[in-house]
Amino acid sequence: MTIMTQPSSGGGGSAAGALYDVIELILDRGLVIDVFVRVSLVGIEVLTIDARVVVASIDTYLRFAERCGRLDLTGGRQPVGLPAIVGQITEDSAERKARGALTGAGRAIAETIHDIVTPDGRG
Amino acid sequence: MATYVYCFTDAGHSLPLDDLRGVGADGTVLQAIRHDGLAAVVSNAPEGLRPKRRDLIAHETVLETLSAAGSVVPMRFGTVAPDDNAVVAELARGASRYTELLTRLAGHVERNVKGAHQEDALLADLLADNPELRARNEALRAAGGGGQPDQVAFGERMALAVEQRRTRDAAYVVAALRPLAMLDRHAPSVKDCFVNVSFLVPAAAQDDFDAVVAQLRSALQGYAELRVSGPLPPYSFVDAVEATV
Repeated sequence: MTIMTQPSSGGGGSAAGALYDVIELILDRGLVIDVFVRVSLVGIEVLTIDARVVVASIDTYLRFAERCGRLDLTGGRQPVGLPAIVGQITEDSAERKARGALTGAGRAIAETIHDIVTPDGRG
Repeated sequence: MATYVYCFTDAGHSLPLDDLRGVGADGTVLQAIRHDGLAAVVSNAPEGLRPKRRDLIAHETVLETLSAAGSVVPMRFGTVAPDDNAVVAELARGASRYTELLTRLAGHVERNVKGAHQEDALLADLLADNPELRARNEALRAAGGGGQPDQVAFGERMALAVEQRRTRDAAYVVAALRPLAMLDRHAPSVKDCFVNVSFLVPAAAQDDFDAVVAQLRSALQGYAELRVSGPLPPYSFVDAVEATV
């Protein structure tokens, strides 16, 4: 069985069509209750990864060097500038003002990046 | 018979279970176990349940349907209680926490955003941005590619620059969308994505959220793409009560 890659529609898609892009949430988020058991995920191929491990490998170094050597860099390309987006739409948003005490502490927790190696749904 | 648990809701949830089927080859029948103002949506747990595509879709479909009809606390896939009595005991034990969590999550949805660079565009951009890297690349090219030690050394410098750019661009995406959300959480790292983040968004603010996504896509066009999912059950925010302490 294979989880097919399908482009996400950007909201409101069917569960089946959007499964690929939410599978790590289904398998690795949601409430865990200690006194209940979980179905074994043994044998499922790894979908999520520690991105830092992938980038920091000899294979990646060689690939980057090779790809850079093939790039067409003529034409004086300018670096991408990222325009400021924050606030352009949201400045007057009621939600922005309505955010309560929930936000500050929640952000502190959100800064904790989880680098959990998680199985995917192949099985 | 063991009991598969999908989510907790409050007992006032409309619980449209009749047209839904649960995990398992034949699509198990869903039932609500009610206790103390709360309800748990459950089915029989099939023998030998594994995370097959069919079962993941069943789990997700049940949760998406129920979360569209009211507040839910979603379980992680594959949560199995020994029997219905154990579910009742858990509803009783955690009643105040689950009630508060359902209240906090009410009227909100999870939106997940993944961002992936187009690798050639990213590398070209880093070279355009950094004269030293550009010069080293030209030197290797002039040397017919150079020896492997030189390639590794150059590639490592590029990898460091890539990592810094991934961090910068992740922060850019999060900062643009954070004002539309009550909470945000990093989701597990997934292959090729520089950012994987979920936002708890007021259901009424989704149009604003999508408008900022459109601005981001425009800003990143030709350089990175964003994949946006949702509205989803609030998988990433079942700690929303603890987050306020």
